[in-house]
Amino acid sequence: MKPLWRRPAVWLVAPWAISFVAFWLFPLGFALYLAFTSYSPLGGDLSFVGPQNFVRLWGDGDFWQAARNTLLFVGVTVPVTTALALGLALLLNSRIRGRGLFRAAFFFPSITSLVVVALVWTALYTRDGVLSSVAVALGFTPPEHGFLLSTSTALPAIMLLDVWAAVGYYMLLYLAALQALPAEYFESARLLAASRWQTLRFVIWPALRPMTLLVLVLNTIKSFQVFIEVYVMTRGGPLGSTRTLVYFVYNEGLVKFDMGYASAAAFALFALVAAVSLVLARRLGFGKEIAV
Amino acid sequence: MSRATIYLALVVALLTMLFPLYYLVAGALSSAGGGTPGTDELLLSSPRWANFAEVWSVAGFPRAVLNSVLVACAVTLGNLVFALMTGYILARRRNRISRFWSVTLLAVMMMPVHVLIIPMFVEMRVLGWIDSYAALIVPFLVHPIAVLLMRQYIAALPTELEDAARVDGAGEMYIVFRIVAPLCKPAMAVVAIQVFLVNWNLFLFPFIFTTRPEMRTLPVALAFFQGYQEIDWPHLLAASTLATLPILAVFLAFQRQIISGLTAGALKE
Repeated sequence: MKPLWRRPAVWLVAPWAISFVAFWLFPLGFALYLAFTSYSPLGGDLSFVGPQNFVRLWGDGDFWQAARNTLLFVGVTVPVTTALALGLALLLNSRIRGRGLFRAAFFFPSITSLVVVALVWTALYTRDGVLSSVAVALGFTPPEHGFLLSTSTALPAIMLLDVWAAVGYYMLLYLAALQALPAEYFESARLLAASRWQTLRFVIWPALRPMTLLVLVLNTIKSFQVFIEVYVMTRGGPLGSTRTLVYFVYNEGLVKFDMGYASAAAFALFALVAAVSLVLARRLGFGKEIAV
Repeated sequence: MSRATIYLALVVALLTMLFPLYYLVAGALSSAGGGTPGTDELLLSSPRWANFAEVWSVAGFPRAVLNSVLVACAVTLGNLVFALMTGYILARRRNRISRFWSVTLLAVMMMPVHVLIIPMFVEMRVLGWIDSYAALIVPFLVHPIAVLLMRQYIAALPTELEDAARVDGAGEMYIVFRIVAPLCKPAMAVVAIQVFLVNWNLFLFPFIFTTRPEMRTLPVALAFFQGYQEIDWPHLLAASTLATLPILAVFLAFQRQIISGLTAGALKE
């Protein structure tokens, strides 16, 4: 057998292999190790503390608030985004004029920088901002200091932005799935004189099931990690009402430099995301097509 | 639903989706002073184009543009070469090792990256890469989606040309870069566009890998402008508009490739 370095296959797979080990596998293992230490780049000493960080998390009200906010965020934005994405895809799947224009306009926000998106919506949500004026015009009383400075509206405000920014991408996935459906499906539904609702409920919806699961998995993983909007718009405030788990990890680890503790929090979230996406991924059969 | 209802729903959705983007541009053209541009500025009664020129003299903005361009080009180029190499070998060798690396690609795509924030920061510190271009470029040179796209495309190519070259005594490297690469132009276009878009908008890692303002990329610089109130809102929105222009240009020119790149990873063959 030729030595490893003489085999071209080794050289060809090396870019990914090195990347994977250096920037995914090693950091992941290192994070797990850190979670059981009291590491801080300021304090210097790295001592093994066992499960102490996890015990501390259990009693940390800030952590639970972050967990609650994140679950609420995921629980609201994922179903709403999915439903709207499906709705828009169904509308665009009919034979209409200007389809390309509609599709482009719905999709563009999802490739715009989230920082830019967050800045735009921050401006829209201020006390003298456009959305306050709209609320007044509609007869509502907007929060006195703007939507982002009230504990009751800040998180929903970020959710709204997230749905706006994400819906186009999932619409595109649904649209691709709809266009891949065989025409016979619709033909036989028509022959059976099914109503539009019946066609949707008993033909299209079951046929789209794999795509729905994929959309749910992708969106759930992404939504659990909401950070940019929170950092740019509210820094977790007011009174922690928009503090999310990733913001908590960032704040403990890179602001307070309590890195062991932050890693423990990151792993708690990792376990949560892994559990949720594994359940969804198993139902989807994700990864089957690549394992041949 | 009648045709009219469909159009009505679509137009309402269109206006809702476009409004924040319109506000971005209208706000960038406003002269609202320090506060956020309000409803009065929406009419664009006196657009102030000078905002776009003035924003270039905001400290850190030109450098952030330069950084973003440099980093995005380097990362895109690197991905083209490396995704071709790895994609080729994963498509052509069907053994256990190759399957293992294919599975790692998928596993990584499903992985929540937030768990890497702390260890990656420590790793960059140990390497001495904080505030360097290396930290902004090297970890992103092999994007799993790029490798998967190339792998998928090459797997569908016929092998005759490669076999013929091999009979003529060509080595694997020659085959990858001289025989396979020219056949992969469409896939490489998709990869380049995809990687450029992702990298141009990348925030989290450039944000934690940089402490000096000179090393910030555009998204990071924009976030800091707002945080420290270094510039007023019209200029901040003008800078944001300028940061979005490359995305818009790429989108208008390559919409088809963007859509096929985004859906290729998601759709099963």
